[in-house]
Amino acid sequence: MARGAEISTTAVAEVPLSAQFGAAWWIALIVSGTLVLLLGYTLVSVALVGVGMWGVNVPFVWGFDLINYAWWIGIANGASLFAAVLVLRRHDLRTAVNRFAEGVAFFAVICAGIFPIIHLGRPWLFYWVFPYPATFEVWPQFRSTLTWDFWAISTHAILTSLLWYVGLIPDLATLRDRARHVGVKRAYGIFALGWRSSVRHWAYHQRAYRGVAILVLPLILIMQSVVAFEFAVTLVPDWHETRQPLHFIATGLAQGLSIVLLVAVLLRWALHLERHIDNHDVELLGKLVLASALVSGYLYVDEIAAAFFTDRLTRDALLNRMTGDYAGLYWSAIVYSVLIPQLLWLRLARRSVLAGIVVGVSIGIGVWFDRFSIIVGGLQTDYLPSTWRTYAPTLPETGLFLGTLGLFATLLLLFVRFLPVVSMFETRHDEHLEKL
Amino acid sequence: MGQLFTSAATTAFRVTIVLFLLAAAGTGVLAYIWTRAGSSWNIGKPANQPVPFRHDLHSGLLKIDCRYCHSTVERAADAGMPSAQTCMSCHSEVWIGATVLEPVRSSFALSQPIIWTSVHRLPDYVYFHHAAHVTKGVACETCHGRVDRMPRTVKTETLSMGWCLDCHRDPVPQLRPRGAVLAMGSGPHAMDLPDDLRVFYREAFQRLTSCNTCHR
Repeated sequence: MARGAEISTTAVAEVPLSAQFGAAWWIALIVSGTLVLLLGYTLVSVALVGVGMWGVNVPFVWGFDLINYAWWIGIANGASLFAAVLVLRRHDLRTAVNRFAEGVAFFAVICAGIFPIIHLGRPWLFYWVFPYPATFEVWPQFRSTLTWDFWAISTHAILTSLLWYVGLIPDLATLRDRARHVGVKRAYGIFALGWRSSVRHWAYHQRAYRGVAILVLPLILIMQSVVAFEFAVTLVPDWHETRQPLHFIATGLAQGLSIVLLVAVLLRWALHLERHIDNHDVELLGKLVLASALVSGYLYVDEIAAAFFTDRLTRDALLNRMTGDYAGLYWSAIVYSVLIPQLLWLRLARRSVLAGIVVGVSIGIGVWFDRFSIIVGGLQTDYLPSTWRTYAPTLPETGLFLGTLGLFATLLLLFVRFLPVVSMFETRHDEHLEKL
Repeated sequence: MGQLFTSAATTAFRVTIVLFLLAAAGTGVLAYIWTRAGSSWNIGKPANQPVPFRHDLHSGLLKIDCRYCHSTVERAADAGMPSAQTCMSCHSEVWIGATVLEPVRSSFALSQPIIWTSVHRLPDYVYFHHAAHVTKGVACETCHGRVDRMPRTVKTETLSMGWCLDCHRDPVPQLRPRGAVLAMGSGPHAMDLPDDLRVFYREAFQRLTSCNTCHR
């Protein structure tokens, strides 16, 4: 939030209402749009040819598809858990970060949702995981992880989009009132759903916003556990562990927070919102990222400690992750998601745009390595030595992943162009409190 | 400046939301009805055949045994379609010059099979074994209907997976004594089904409904 001198939300509202947006935005949109085309191409080719285009094969039936799904959903979970907690606690950091944290969560859910559907092999039959009265009179197998994915992702998509949209309504009304062209006014007006800022509206709005935030809270814990259970319920030595949900929740939170930090410093720098996302906010965010990275570090230590107290097979599987073909991924995960974030101990780094970008990207990369290490490295030495192989992604898989990165960037760019990136009504609310 | 939206526009917006929800619900109901309608499963719809073969004459009027033409029905997965030789065993004597039988005669002369259009084709991922059913008391009529009254062969049941499962989940009420399997218009065992059969099928429930019984 903004402190000290009076602050106007005009600067925030003028961003989406400005007629020009500069060449940099267009270049970024063209680059990310090209990646979206790549996404479309890889999706269509996999639908036409089949998952044989990927590097997956027994025993690695899960490759890039699950790695990237688990990675994206981690971002979504971390960001929306963070946003929901801020809303519920009415913490003053929410004025600065909530809007785009909720947006980031929603966009990440969209990217995550693509993978479980396309990896079905026959993605056009994805609705079979939904329990509807089918003529084949068989209900979906509720012990199947596919069904869990369906419920987890659809619930997640509904709740994060609701949290984002409900928070947007009063700000859409502000844009409607400030817009200069009647067409633009109408466009924002439709989505503002006739918001008139009456006391009754505000009362309902608070109830709805906090209500959705409360729903998000347990959902995120359950959701991230579901992702972890997809591994934990199998008999694979390295996956079949009760600590798995904790690992996924903690690293997912670090990941979500780091992306929020990354987007925060980028927006602050690119849109000159230093007053709305002020030093205090960025510093607080930096401390949270640091704390979550430390928790991730603790869980890595816990994993090693747990391995010493468990059976030989589990220990061997972990040792293989540390020293086998995929050892690089394991150690990189620790370096990127635990060690590099230690930079944030320095006040200078917490306030620096560059350090924010470095740490934000670094945790993202680190957790991605961690998911790769768990999903591929964890499976590599299973019970059957005859299937001890290696897995490497093929070009179509890599294209699919790059495509979702492009989709995420495109959605973020469009969001920045057309919607207020900082919650104006919350800023006004907190400023009002300060005056009292 | 006046109101951004007229009250008529606001009403239209609200009506649209309601209509959208109704349309979504309606689509669901229509899909439910349509996927269960007989026409979606080609029930009662004859296929284009090279020869206008009449089951009602051969099976109904002349009382030719089903197995005379579908000779492997008690031994194999496929019930078997008659070769031209089988047809010619009679049609070299009767209806010799009939033009409708020309494909049969040329098939016989050239040793080329007649290309019939399948009426009861199951998807290729379904493993169906005729003998397994016929020899265990599932009558022809149970799945194919009163073929002896059909001038043109048509489906009388959906042959959907749900329809298969209806019987696989509880076969006992559908079974007939072995002697009545080929008969038309005969009823199931009714009350006189042997007790050991009842016990057997109660235990066979798991096997009969497991995925790989039919999807191998």
